[in-house]
Parts: sequence; structure tokens; C-alpha cells
Amino acid sequence: MLEIKNLKASINSKQILKGLNLSIKPGEVHAIMGPNGSGKSTLANVLSGKNGYEVSGELNFKGESLNEIPVEVRAQKGLFLAFQYPLEIPGVNTNNFLKTSLNSVRKARGEKELDTLAFLKIVKEKSSELGIDEKILARQLNVGFSGGEKKKNEILQMKILDPYFSILDETDSGLDIDALKTVAKGVNSSRTKQKSFLVITHYQRLLDYIKPDFVHVLSDGKIVKTGCGDLAQELEKTGYKKLN
Amino acid sequence: MENFEIDSKRIDQIEKITLEEKNFRIKNLELFKTAGFPNKKFEDWKFTDFRGIVDNNFKKLDTEKVTYDFKNKELLKNFDHNYIILVNGSLHSNNFDYEEKNKIKISSHDNNINYKLSENPLICLNHALAENGYFLEVEENYKFKKTLVIYNFFTNNIKDKILNNKNKIKIKKNSELHVIEYTINESKFKFINNVYEDLTLEKNSKLKSLYIQSKKSEGFFHKYSKSKLYDNSDYVNLIFSSGLRFNKLDIESDLIGENCSCNILSALFLNKNEHQEIKTRINHLVPDCKSYQRIKKVLDTESKGVFQGKVYVKDVAQKTDAYQLSKALLLHDDAEFNSKPELEIYADDVKCSHGSTSGTIDEDSLYYLMTRGLSRKESTKLLIKGFLNDVVNFIKNPKIKEFVENKLEEQINAH
Repeated sequence: MLEIKNLKASINSKQILKGLNLSIKPGEVHAIMGPNGSGKSTLANVLSGKNGYEVSGELNFKGESLNEIPVEVRAQKGLFLAFQYPLEIPGVNTNNFLKTSLNSVRKARGEKELDTLAFLKIVKEKSSELGIDEKILARQLNVGFSGGEKKKNEILQMKILDPYFSILDETDSGLDIDALKTVAKGVNSSRTKQKSFLVITHYQRLLDYIKPDFVHVLSDGKIVKTGCGDLAQELEKTGYKKLN
Repeated sequence: MENFEIDSKRIDQIEKITLEEKNFRIKNLELFKTAGFPNKKFEDWKFTDFRGIVDNNFKKLDTEKVTYDFKNKELLKNFDHNYIILVNGSLHSNNFDYEEKNKIKISSHDNNINYKLSENPLICLNHALAENGYFLEVEENYKFKKTLVIYNFFTNNIKDKILNNKNKIKIKKNSELHVIEYTINESKFKFINNVYEDLTLEKNSKLKSLYIQSKKSEGFFHKYSKSKLYDNSDYVNLIFSSGLRFNKLDIESDLIGENCSCNILSALFLNKNEHQEIKTRINHLVPDCKSYQRIKKVLDTESKGVFQGKVYVKDVAQKTDAYQLSKALLLHDDAEFNSKPELEIYADDVKCSHGSTSGTIDEDSLYYLMTRGLSRKESTKLLIKGFLNDVVNFIKNPKIKEFVENKLEEQINAH
């Protein structure tokens, strides 16, 4: 699904990622943990194609190099990023945005665009699964949403766009335990043999609910340790310091 | 002004006027001739050299009357409406089939007198030469059942003309009218349309007016609009006149009855080489009145937007509630937005606020939308529409709202 080889990235001449290697196969859930400033969000941004980074190394997604592919095309090819801080977009109706987004992805995939009725059916189903009040979808995108509502809205977008590979960037931050469980349930129900996930988090808590196949520790722009689910629990006890 | 000379004999050609009116016109013509077209030395034109614009665009201007060949044009089918048809500013015909006809008076505007002398040379020119236009009066206790569309057609034979018109609307006590002024320009040539609008809202009356045009236009438009608001009256002015080469709206509102409310809202998308200017002056002259201004402009390359907004609060106008906001979104480095918000307050128990911002499209917002599969262009469009939406949402009638949204979308897509 995703092959990362010797990935280096810098912004404003400051190197953040310093030769990162990672291989994620279809159906796998990988977690990336690491201290503040280790490069977790940079990795998410670089994978999604955000401008402003100087990037070198290999990025292969489903057998194709991503290096020259712009943000929206990566999304259309089935790469999704759930934002750590979802942006508020005033004046843009959430439902309209979701529909425009889904249809542009469907169009790129050669699928028929959905009419409003068919679209609303999908939204109704997915939003009730995540316990999202449909009323907030009639509001402006993320404007005045609570922290939990914003994060749930990210997962809703993920489920509607149905990507092959999803990056969840600190989706657990700002969530209470009930919201965390709902979000985890929403993610778990999307897990199939074809779908992969990269879960970025500070804490082991989320990984109690979304069980990863592998846990990696990112430190100073490199993966310094890889293990199975137990590694997260170990880190919770010992902290990151011991690794350096 | 080598390109524009007016002989005072021009006034002799205006039919059926009293000596008094003739003298008023001659006096205004002299005032205009002394001042010339306004340039940046005039405070109200400090961001616009209209004289230079005229020189650059017209070799010769004339005020001769135009004959027109006007066959029934296609009218809007989007929603039921009454209509008035103006051709080159002159009243052509009207239809009030949805209304009780004895409640409405409509005539060509006449009696061009009793207007205050102005320091704006274009108003002087209008006072001197205005002919035709319309005078609409709504009788007491009558609410219009359907919207009134004022079709403002410009024909193809008005090259290098300067058309001066006066329009007047009077809404009597407890009455209500919704107007859409819809400009349809068939002239491929440049011309100037200089309008004086006179609005009166008597006690408990309401006027909602919406200004929009059908497509891009080579016309140069100037309109001075003066409104008088009596007790409990409610005036809403919505401006969506994107697509005009040059447009200056000079809006002055006198709040002379208590508890009246004056609202000026605008959402504009300016394409290349378009110039739109909104100047307002809201005079709070009595206590307990409210004014609200919200001006949103999106400016594409080489376009220019101006907002000069003044709120004046007289010493007796306690408990005034005045709000003014102008926001500009610049899509290019070479777009220009000038804003001059002003508060002049002589009362001590008032609530007045104003703000003015200008900025560019937020890159992080664009990135967020693009990670959802939307191209940069689509994302930009979505952000532009989002920026203008809060003004568009003031339109309550869904069919009219859709009509305005479609017009706005055409402008945005043209960029």
C-alpha cells in the first residue's frame, strides 16, 4: 500500500524528517508515537502533499510514486488525512462541501456523481454511526463546532470518501472518553483487508480502542523503534526519554 | 474638458418646464461647468479620478437625446413579479397585474426642482439635465404581493452618451415594497449613466431593494441615492452589482423618525479592470435608530474596490445603534482596495462599531479543502462563495436567492 524510503523533509531550511523508512501493507494498522517535535505532523503533511516542504526520498502509494502528485490528486487516489486541527471554513455549508468533495473523488475514480438524495442517504448512515447530530451538517464547515464535533466530522469525511489509506493525525486529542470510543468504533468498522491506517498519537489510550498491528517510535525525524501493540504500553510506562 | 461641452441651449430643449425649474437647471449647469468632472481633489472622490477615467475612455461625450427601437425584451421567468421597464433610463412601460392598481401611482419623473444644491459635480449635472426616469408612489396600508422588478435596459445606440435620470420612490404609511433593480446592457460601447434616486419611507413602511445586473457591461454608472426614513420604517439595500466596468454608488440616508432602521449590504466579485465604489453616509438625526452596513468585496487581478462609509450621529440621537463592516478578499497582488470608515458622533449614549479588513485567500484553508479531493480552483471558488455567503443569506425568498447566487457564480466562474 505505502512504501516510504529514506524520506527527508525540511521547511524553511530546517530539516524535520531525516531519512524515514516505513512499509505499510493492505489491511494493516500502524501507529506512530513520539515526543513533541519529532516530526509526526510533518510526516502527515508530507504524505498528503502539502506545499512548502522540500522533500527527497521515495514515496510510493499503491505502486505509484507520489512525489510529483498534487494534494487533491492524492486524495482522489484514495489517500486521506484526518487533521489534528480541522480548519473552520466560514460560509461553506458542511453538507454541500461533503457532497462536492465526494463527487470530485468519485469523478476522478470514474464513478457516477451522486445526486443530493443518494448523497444524503450515505451521510445519514455514516453520521448516525458516529453519533453526529445531522443538524450540525447544515451549519458552516467546522464553524462553532466543539473539539469533539470537529474530530468526528473528520472521521465522517473519511468514511464518506472511503479511502484506501487514512492518516489520523492526533485524532484522539481533545476527545472525551465517550467520543474517543465512538471515533474508534467508526474507524474499526472501516477496517478491511484492503484498507490501511496510520494512526499518529501521543498516547497509548487511543490504541486501546484501535488495535495497531505495528507501533513505531518517531524521534528526531527517524523511526527509532518498531514493535507490536505492546510497545505502546511499554512507552506509556517508561516515556520516550529512555529511547534516546 | 475638451471632450465634453454643454451648451445651455440644451436646457431649452427640455419640454414643459417652469421658469423656476429652468433657472434651477441653469444654475446647476453653471456649477458643473465650474467644477468639471470630479477628480481626487474632491473628498468624496479621494480614491478615484473620475475626470481621468472620462478622458481615457471618451473622446467626446454628448447629452443629446437618443431614439431607441425597443421591442418587448425577454423578462425573468425565475419568479412571479411586477415590473417597470426603463429604456436608457426612461420609463417605457409597467405592469402591476399582481397588485391592486389603485394603490400604486407610476409616472415619468418630472418637477426637477427643490433639490439641495450639491458639491458633487455629477449631481449638479443631473440636476441640470435629468429627464424622464420614474416616480413610483405606494399608497397607505398596502403591502405589495409580489416583488417589483425594475428592468433597466440599455440599448446599443448610446455610444459616448451621458444619460441623466431621476427616479423617485415614495412608500406611504404602513406600506411595503420589495424592488429588484435589474440592469441589462446591450450596448457594446461605452456610455455614462448618471442617476439621482430619491426615496421616502413614511411611518411603519418597508422598502427592500436589491441591485444586480445581467452580465458584464461597458457602461460607467454613477448613482446618488438619497433616502429619508420616518418612524419605525425599515430600509434594506442589497448590492450585488458585480460585472460593471465602473460603478459608484453614493448612498445617503437620513434617519429622521425614531426606531427606524437602515441596512446596507453588499457582496461583490470584481473581475479584471472592474471598479466598484460604495460610499455611504448614514445620518442618525433622532434617538433610537439602527443602522447596519456590511460590505464584502472579492477583487481579482487589476480590479479596484473602494468603500467610504460614514456614520454621523447628531447630539440628540441617543441610543443609536450603528454597525459598519467592510471586508475585502484580494486574489491578486495588483488588486486594489481602499477603505475609509468614519464615525462622527456627537451623542454620548450610543453603540457604534466599525471595522475594515482586507486579506488574501488563506493557504491553510485551501490545503484543507484540497486534501478532500477538490482542485485548487474549486477550493478557491468555494472559499470565495463562503466569504460572500453571509450577505447573500440576507435574501429570504429562495427563488430570488437562487437567482442572485447564479449571477454571482457567473461572475466567479468568469475569473
